[in-house]
Amino acid sequence: MRIVVPVKQVAVVDEDFELVDGGSAVDPDFLEWSLNEWDEFSVEAALQMGDEVIVVTVGEEEATEGLLACLAKGADRALRIWDPALEGADALAVARVLAAAVGRESPDLVLCGVQSSDAVNSATGIGLAAHLDLPHLAVARAISADGDSLTVERELEGGLIEVVRVGLPALLTVQTGINEPRYANLRAIKQAREKPLEVLDLAGLGLSESDVDAARGSRLRKLAVPEAGEGAEMLQGSPAEVATRIREIVAERLSA
Amino acid sequence: MSGVLVVAEARRGELREVTLELIGAAKGLGQGPLSVAVVDHDPSRFADRLALDGVDAVLAVKTPGEHFEPHVAQSALEGLIAAEQPSLVLLAHSIDSLGFAPAVAARGGLGFASDVTRIWWEDGPVVGRSAYGGKLEAELDFPGRDTVLLLLRGGTFEPAEPGGAAPAWREVAVELREPRSEHVEFREVEAGDVDITKADFLLSVGRGIEDKDNVEQFEELAERLGATLSVSRPLVDAGWVPGARQVGQSGKTVKPKVYLALGISGAVQHLAGMRGADTIIAVNTDPEAPIFSVAHYGAVADLFDVAEQLEQQSG
Amino acid sequence: MLAALAAEKTRPVLWHMSTGLEVLWYFLAVASVLVFAYGVARPVAKYRRGRAIWLPPRSELWPRFKDGTKTLFAHSSIARRDPLAGWAHRGTFYGFLVLFIGTVILAIDTDVVHRIFGASYFKGNFYLVYSIVLDVMGLALVGGLAILMVRRGILRPRKLDYARPDREPGEEQYDRRVYRVGDWVFLGVLITIALTGYLLEGVRVAEDNPGYNAWSPIGWVFAQLYDALGIGQSGLSDIRHGIWWFHGLLAITFVAAIPFTKAVHMLTSYAGLVLKDPLAGKRLRPIPPELASEPAGYATIADFSIGHLLQLDACTKCGRCHEVCPANATGRPLSPRDVVLELREQANASMEDVGIGGVLGTLMHGSNGGSDRPVIGEHAVHVDTLWSCMQCNACVEICPVGIEQAPIINQLRRHLIEEGELDSNLQSTLQVIHKSGNSFGENRRRRGRWTEELDFDVKDARTEPVELLWFVGDYASFDPRSQQVTRALAEILHGAGVDFGILFDAERNAGNDVRRVGEEGLFEALAEHNVAQLQECEFSRILTSDPHSLNTLRNEYPDYGGDWEVVHHTSLLLELIDAGRLDIDGRLSYRVTYHDPCYLGRHNGGYDAPREVLRRLGCTLVEMPRNRDNSFCCGAGGGRIWIPDTPGAERPSENRIREAVSVGPLDLFVVTCPKDVTMFEDAIKTSGHDGDLRLAELTELVQEALVAG
Repeated sequence: MRIVVPVKQVAVVDEDFELVDGGSAVDPDFLEWSLNEWDEFSVEAALQMGDEVIVVTVGEEEATEGLLACLAKGADRALRIWDPALEGADALAVARVLAAAVGRESPDLVLCGVQSSDAVNSATGIGLAAHLDLPHLAVARAISADGDSLTVERELEGGLIEVVRVGLPALLTVQTGINEPRYANLRAIKQAREKPLEVLDLAGLGLSESDVDAARGSRLRKLAVPEAGEGAEMLQGSPAEVATRIREIVAERLSA
Repeated sequence: MSGVLVVAEARRGELREVTLELIGAAKGLGQGPLSVAVVDHDPSRFADRLALDGVDAVLAVKTPGEHFEPHVAQSALEGLIAAEQPSLVLLAHSIDSLGFAPAVAARGGLGFASDVTRIWWEDGPVVGRSAYGGKLEAELDFPGRDTVLLLLRGGTFEPAEPGGAAPAWREVAVELREPRSEHVEFREVEAGDVDITKADFLLSVGRGIEDKDNVEQFEELAERLGATLSVSRPLVDAGWVPGARQVGQSGKTVKPKVYLALGISGAVQHLAGMRGADTIIAVNTDPEAPIFSVAHYGAVADLFDVAEQLEQQSG
Repeated sequence: MLAALAAEKTRPVLWHMSTGLEVLWYFLAVASVLVFAYGVARPVAKYRRGRAIWLPPRSELWPRFKDGTKTLFAHSSIARRDPLAGWAHRGTFYGFLVLFIGTVILAIDTDVVHRIFGASYFKGNFYLVYSIVLDVMGLALVGGLAILMVRRGILRPRKLDYARPDREPGEEQYDRRVYRVGDWVFLGVLITIALTGYLLEGVRVAEDNPGYNAWSPIGWVFAQLYDALGIGQSGLSDIRHGIWWFHGLLAITFVAAIPFTKAVHMLTSYAGLVLKDPLAGKRLRPIPPELASEPAGYATIADFSIGHLLQLDACTKCGRCHEVCPANATGRPLSPRDVVLELREQANASMEDVGIGGVLGTLMHGSNGGSDRPVIGEHAVHVDTLWSCMQCNACVEICPVGIEQAPIINQLRRHLIEEGELDSNLQSTLQVIHKSGNSFGENRRRRGRWTEELDFDVKDARTEPVELLWFVGDYASFDPRSQQVTRALAEILHGAGVDFGILFDAERNAGNDVRRVGEEGLFEALAEHNVAQLQECEFSRILTSDPHSLNTLRNEYPDYGGDWEVVHHTSLLLELIDAGRLDIDGRLSYRVTYHDPCYLGRHNGGYDAPREVLRRLGCTLVEMPRNRDNSFCCGAGGGRIWIPDTPGAERPSENRIREAVSVGPLDLFVVTCPKDVTMFEDAIKTSGHDGDLRLAELTELVQEALVAG
């Protein structure tokens, strides 16, 4: 089975970050990058199920590290797509670009993570399926292959599971906990540089800036630090004092 | 393009609560006629529930299949949008919606945003949602998009109240696509020994407890405090605790009198499961942890130190 | 050949033997030597299947030979911590050696000097001295063997219990009967050879009555015995031949069998001593450049270095490593001895796969393509055996024959890392270290946060030259309890006017434990980064308050281009005290015990400075039974602090606290390592002794003394 796994290098914002560009972006100095946690699971699922695994990402240079880790784990090929026009692209714009890249691989299965930990749109995967016109299912907690079809367990709200069957080719979005992602040791990551890693821009995929613009779903107007909300009453003091106060509150509220 | 189309959500013959929140949000915007679409095998069974203040019309689309199927739902919504030309389409940010709403937005070139927590109007919809994993808030708008499709976060907007004139009921004929997947069955996750939804006092632990064998220690602490132990998702993913104890969007929704969270950062999916508790007390070493935004009481402290103290003082 | 010919030779060597029998005897003797030679060739072929890496350079061979021989003759490594075994083995060793040399002397005289030149030196005073020496040394041999038998059969020390912790009773590989029986046979055959030699001597003395019996005292005793039993001259004649042949055949069979039995340790253990790596465990081996594109570590026997393959055969099952291993002592499925034996069995089995033809082929052509036999698996070394190890080096340190158990385990771990066979918590920690440069997952910017609570500025060694560059370490930088110690040290140094600075954000985990986990790639990345940072700075010495960092900075960074003098804070404190810059003499009067951290003590010999500081402080030091090189690991090393413990099992740190409590009333349990601070603070509580004992880091005591002044 040839499986394509779109992945994302996500940004983690440091504690003392600063906003730039009139409040529409975080100063890159305060961003740390790592492979999206959900994608660890989708890559692992692909490696377990597939004969050929290709990873694709839309991202700048920092995304290379994530791709190398996937190659180190056993993916066969990697593709990174970037273009200045993709700056600030939202989930649907990315889905459009991914569609061009994934489409040319003619995969049997596309596995995406349910969401990315930074943007948490939970939309790119299914958006991609729409552009590729692939049968799709969201939030898989278990997958088993049976010849030309898959039996998928979807994880619904409240601990409910739906068992669904779908034929190949298809696209699934994969939930955390579906498997145990393997470790990519650093030597393997170093050696992974020998594996094929292609870098393409929009033109390389036969896309234009206006294709991306047409696909965009939203525009970021501004970023802001959230208000602290109604505010929790913060308990001060030593752990012992905190514990005492907690016990008081609990006793009070349980008797009410 | 005008009017708001709310897509009702149902499962196993029950209308899900979140539908009322969508209607409440739409009503709050006051942007023209509010229609509620019911895409179901037997839409009329929800008629009563939809007699809500603010609903102008209910659009029923009958599906051949008994269960939700994403491709059928997608074509139904596409058909409705084509027929009704709303300026705003609202769905819940739910597991089923995630299965098809982005596809509708992608194929239709619509405006789109998910997990929306605030919405207002400025010559077009403007929404607020989380960014950077909850550390920041983003404001999004949709220039050049005649129809905007939004997924609203559950438990955020005020639900609509019953009342007002009974809404007009209309069956809409839409060309539905063939299903591309087949429902086999529903299953409950292992029931386990405990029903955390019935507990008055929950002691909840998360990744902060670090080791699998610390679970036992907190089980004992819970017992000593007269609480029931519940956990956040990572502990279930890691296999340390059965799924029956999980609080969160894909676990249980709990509304105890007291929810004491130790070492839980407060990912959105977790908050969805417990923000309704009467009193929330959170202990975490990270002062920026999102859980503090929903907690009533908080302490920036090491959970093991506090746990130890609780243990000693309750001994 | 031993006592036999010697005793016989006063006199005709092959006494009254027909030519036919003499020819038979020589034929058998030659056959025995050939079998011996084949027996030696087989392991040599086995070793050649390994990799020719990490061998000492030729120039070192002669000094190593001298050193190894010296150690052997002094028996210093065998007598350590077991004087009884030391004396018993001395007797056995010297006895056997002298008797063996005696035989050679005799053989040369008979077959060379006499046969070729017609002369003989085996007579007169030479002979008398020869006779008495061999008689006495034979007694030493018998005595030594007897003590060893009593030790094994009656005293039954734990270290001679061959039961393996990684198999259950009933499993095919659990039964160590082959080893137990083999060991008894070895002792039994040797003592029989010695005793039959005496029996024969007795017959000769009784029958020939040569007249200088003072020079054959034991023989004389046996002669009296025969007399007392009433065996007359004709009786003696009858049994003389019999005893001679029995003794002779037994002896040459023994010689032939040496390479196939426990007796091989005479060769392999000696070789182990000669090839011993003095830095074993302190400095683990980088991956050789020629293997850069190969998977790391040992997957099969063919991956082993020649040295390690030889070490597997050097093991005599003395059990010292088994006894001293903290994992074994706390019920984990690890015994270093059993890892070595299991690997030896795997290596031997791989030779069996190859057969005699393969042996000869390997000898002639070198490695025979390697055996595919994996050394890790259900019927080989278990994965959880390997992960139980704390890399504390107690096994390497005590092994009398230079086996590198912990480094071998490390090599096997390198393979497990390649295969991704590791605990998920450990996996996350390694990923976190790779991401943020520390095991706490804290942003690198926060590494220097601990300095903010000081009322002075700490110099930034990246931008200013400093005398001492203080490499702080993860735990000392981020763990709240250890931060207290770190701040105390900073305050002491500042108060004493020491010029020091730290690297702040540029410091990363030194990599000691990452390497010991087997993640060689991550270790290299960390080492290369730290070396590059350090090379940009100006300083005279590196100071560290973390023994793990100390070990790798001092012993392993030179392989990565970083060669600096590294000093532990306990040595620095002592320097300052000696120079009069810290006025602490006699200020405290606590009753304390001191725990030697593995990486300061055993790995780097740093036993004395902390003790001297305690003495100067005025504290009374009560040593725990397991101290200095025999210190018992707290259980954090080798990455174990990142792997969850099995619930219910005793933790090594709890075991150690119980030991401390057992030495009597104490005020303080003193440590000098941040991981020890964490482990023992916890263990004092979980073992229920927090009323009995308080933990203090040495720096905190120095600070207390300064404040008291």
